[in-house]
Amino acid sequence: MKRIAIDPITRLEGHGKITIFLNEEGTVENAYLQIPELRGFEKFVEGLPVEEIPRVVTRICGV
Amino acid sequence: MKLNIAIYWGAACGGCDVAILDTHEKLLEIADVVDIHLWPIAMDFKYADVRALADGYLDATLFSGAVRNSENEEIAKLLRKKSKAMIALGACAHTGGVPGLANMYTRGEILDRVYLRSESTNNPEGTLPAEEFMVDAGELQLPRFYNTVKTLDQVVDVDYYIPGCPPASLQIYSALGLLADDMLPKKGSVIGAGDRALCDECARKKSEKTITKIYRTHEKLPDPETCFLEQGFICLGPATRSGCGSRCIKSWTPCRGCYGPLDGVQDQGIKMLGALASVLEPKDEKGINAILDTVVDPLRTVSRFSLASSMLRRKKV
Repeated sequence: MKRIAIDPITRLEGHGKITIFLNEEGTVENAYLQIPELRGFEKFVEGLPVEEIPRVVTRICGV
Repeated sequence: MKLNIAIYWGAACGGCDVAILDTHEKLLEIADVVDIHLWPIAMDFKYADVRALADGYLDATLFSGAVRNSENEEIAKLLRKKSKAMIALGACAHTGGVPGLANMYTRGEILDRVYLRSESTNNPEGTLPAEEFMVDAGELQLPRFYNTVKTLDQVVDVDYYIPGCPPASLQIYSALGLLADDMLPKKGSVIGAGDRALCDECARKKSEKTITKIYRTHEKLPDPETCFLEQGFICLGPATRSGCGSRCIKSWTPCRGCYGPLDGVQDQGIKMLGALASVLEPKDEKGINAILDTVVDPLRTVSRFSLASSMLRRKKV
């Protein structure tokens, strides 16, 4: 099966890649969007003083 | 002849890219002197385009973001090979930044919290991201999520650092001017920033006053003209490089150190602890500790942006 990789996907905030599989007729058999990034804010804001949260989670997305 | 540059992000929020765009009409001046060969947030180049460039073809790469996974490291190494100058742009690439706070935990603790215990996730089979995943048509791959967040210079040789979270737009503009005019200082220098402590350019009044209590910002209203530290609010001004334009201070918010340490300081957090101890009223260890013990979250306060480059670096595993 023919594979087309779009890596990275662009003009958005964050990382992503798309893999498209073509069948023998050359039409799309399946397509996958993958997000290869994780930073873990869910974990490292635990226990942070509440008044400090706004200036940390603003760094989730700066766009 | 135009300069050839790449702009890339590792574990980042895109704020550094937006800081470049926030040069507003000066962006047109930048566009007059550079050809951009990779800039995911704004232009449609692929990794394959970069791989096709000759080694050393790029005059510079501006790399924002920390190195959090194997893709970040792979692209950092690729861009290093293709670039005459590697420039760490922003706090994450420079000192680890906010993503570096993940070094308080292990890889396993983070994956567990995000994918198995997050309140908004329904994952009854406990699926975790896999580096290799078979689907009917073939194999899909994801980067390796590292145990330790790294700064850019922990994985590749870095020529210059533009600090800040985000770097002030005019500072990026002036640093690009150094590149365009071939006026860059010696390798390893911090560019687009001052060489004094933030306190030295802070407009608030200082009076050598000592303090007996640490306050959290919600506990009292700060006086608008007096040094935060002398009012008992922890402010990282003494341990932080100038160059930001005091933007947090001017917004009634104490500094958290995003511009990183001054030259010659290995650990910004330890430098801040020293500065803090020196303004306390008690001079004996017991008295000092009694006040320092009231700091709610010391590590994430004094090493907010620099944990990944600190002497502690990460939780022991």
